[in-house]
Amino acid sequence: MQVTIVGNSAAALSALDSFRERDQEASVTLVSAEPGPAYSRVLLPYYLRRRLSYEGVFIRRMDDYARLRAATEFGVRVERVDPARRELQLADGRRLGFDRLLLATGSAPARPPIPGLEGPGIHSLWTLDDAMRLDPLFREGAHVMVLGSGFVALQGAWAAVQRGLRVIVVELLDQILPRVLDAAAARILHEQLLAYGVNVRTGTRTDGLETDRCGRVRVSTGGAGPFTVDAVIAATGARPNDALLPECLEPGRTGIPVADTMETGVDGVYAAGDVVRGPTASGGPREIHALWPTAVEQGRVAGANLAGAGLSYAGSLSMNVTEMFGLTVASLGRFVESDGDDVFESRDLPGIRYLKLVFRAGVPVGAISLGEPEGAALLGRLRPFVRQKRPLGDLPAFLEGRDLDWRLLGLGGIRTTALAPEASKEKAACASSS
Amino acid sequence: MRIVVVDPDSCVACRNCEYACAYRQNGDFARSASHIRVNFYPEERACVPLTCMHCAKAGCLEVCPAAAISRDPETGAVEVDETRCAGCKMCLLACPYGNVHFDKVASVSRKCDLCGGDPMCVRSCTAGALQFVEADEAVDRRREAVDARLRRILHLDKAEK
Repeated sequence: MQVTIVGNSAAALSALDSFRERDQEASVTLVSAEPGPAYSRVLLPYYLRRRLSYEGVFIRRMDDYARLRAATEFGVRVERVDPARRELQLADGRRLGFDRLLLATGSAPARPPIPGLEGPGIHSLWTLDDAMRLDPLFREGAHVMVLGSGFVALQGAWAAVQRGLRVIVVELLDQILPRVLDAAAARILHEQLLAYGVNVRTGTRTDGLETDRCGRVRVSTGGAGPFTVDAVIAATGARPNDALLPECLEPGRTGIPVADTMETGVDGVYAAGDVVRGPTASGGPREIHALWPTAVEQGRVAGANLAGAGLSYAGSLSMNVTEMFGLTVASLGRFVESDGDDVFESRDLPGIRYLKLVFRAGVPVGAISLGEPEGAALLGRLRPFVRQKRPLGDLPAFLEGRDLDWRLLGLGGIRTTALAPEASKEKAACASSS
Repeated sequence: MRIVVVDPDSCVACRNCEYACAYRQNGDFARSASHIRVNFYPEERACVPLTCMHCAKAGCLEVCPAAAISRDPETGAVEVDETRCAGCKMCLLACPYGNVHFDKVASVSRKCDLCGGDPMCVRSCTAGALQFVEADEAVDRRREAVDARLRRILHLDKAEK
C-alpha cells in the first residue's frame, strides 16, 4: 500500500507518527512545497525575538523521516489531485500514485483588499522565509507597522519591541485579539502594549499603502492620519490551502469538509490541520480551527485511519496560549457569554490579573486567563471538563488546585502512572485527551 | 517501565516528597519548585500526593510545537529538553492534571523526569505511601481498590451525576 501525505507540519507529522505506530509495512511518502526538514511556524516569532536560534525552529532532522521509513519529496509543489487515477500531479511534471492520501496543506496568510498591500515593503510572518526576510529589517530604532492584532500580529509586535523597534499596531475592529480574548481582557492587554511603548490603533481602517523607492511604506488610515514606516507586517488571518480538492468544497465556503474520521468526500482521501473544516467539541457546525493543537489531534486521528484504525475525532476545542508583553495570555473554548450563561470573573487571584470562566447549566464552556503562567495550567485542568461537558463541582477547590476528580483518577489518576498505558486505548483517549 | 504509585491511605502529608523534589530542582527547599504536590483534605482527613503520570498518550509531548518534550527510552519518563523549549506554554494548557510547571526565571517548562530512574520523592517518603514499581504489576492489582477507597474518603460518589 502506498500512503502519501501532502504537508510537513503539525498535522502531517503527527499523522506520520500515528500511522507508523500501527503500520510498519506500507510505503509512506511526504510531499511538501517547502524545502528541508520540518520547522515550526509557532516558533518563528521566538526566532525573531532572539529567544531561539535558527536551528531551534527546526523540529525534525532528515534522519527522523528515515527512521520512520518515510520517503520525502520536499521543495516540490503538488499541482493537482486526480482522485479517479489515484495520482498526484507534481509541479515538476512527475506523477505520484497513492492508495490512501492525506492532505495536510495548511493555510496561508489572508490579505484584505487594501490597495498597495502587495508592495515590496509589506511582509507576512508565516513561513521561515518570511522570518528570514524580516530579520534584517528588525534594526533598533526602525519603525514597523503591524496590520491586524491576532496572535501572529501581536507576537510579531512583541518581537519587534524586544528588538528595539518602534511599533504601531492597526486593527480594524474595536479590540485587539478579537478571536482570543473578550473585550475586558483585551483592554488589559491593550494597556500593557501601551506600557511597552506600542502605538495601538483599534477601530482604525487602513485605506492604502504605498511603498516608495527607498522601500519605506506610506500608510493612509481612516482617522489616524498618514504616516511612514520602514516595514509593514500584514497579519490579518489565514485561509486554508484547499485548492487541491475543489470538488469537495461547499459553495462559497473555504476549508475541506471532513467526517469525524477526517475522511473527505473522496474515498481514501483524508485531510487534517488548517486546511480542514472539521467537527468541533461543542457539536455545532463544522469549523476551521486553524490552531496547532487542533492540527496535532486531527493528524493523529487521520494517521491512525490511514492505517485502518477506524477512529473518530471527538472534535476540536479552540485553545490559545502565549506570553507577550509580560503577560501569559490563554483562552479556551467559548469565552464570550451568551444569554443564559453564568460567568465567574476574578481580578484578584494570586498571579492572575483576569480570570473568566463561562458556564452553561453548571458546565464550563470556555475560559480566559491573563497574568502568570499558572493561569494556563488552570485552563489546562479545566479543559477535560469543557471537552467532556462535565459540571465543575466545587469551584473554589478547583481554583486552589484542591479538587480531586475521581473520574480523572479512574482514568489515569492516582494509580495513574500505572493506568496510563490503559488510557491509551485509542477511542477513549481520543475522546478525553483534549 | 517503572512508575511512581501512590497509596493515599499511607500518606501522612509530611511533604518530604515536595522538599526532596524541590531540592533536586533548585538546590533549596522552596516547595513551589516541586513537581509532586500533596493535596490535603482536612474534612475528609485525607491527603493525596499527585505527580506526573508520564501518560502513554501524553498531551504535553504530542502538542509541543518545539519538539522539546520526548520520552526517555530507558525510564519511560516524559521529559522537557530545556535547550529546545521556547516557553510557549502549550504543554501547560495540554496537561489535564496541572503537572507541567513554568520556570519564570529560565522561561522554560519543567516537569517530573523520574529523576532519571531513581525518584527522590519515593526515596524520601517516610510513610511508604510512594512506591516506584513496575507498571504492569502495580496497575491492575490495586487500581480498583484505590479508586474505591478514594471515592469513599472523598465522598465523591454522590458528586458523580
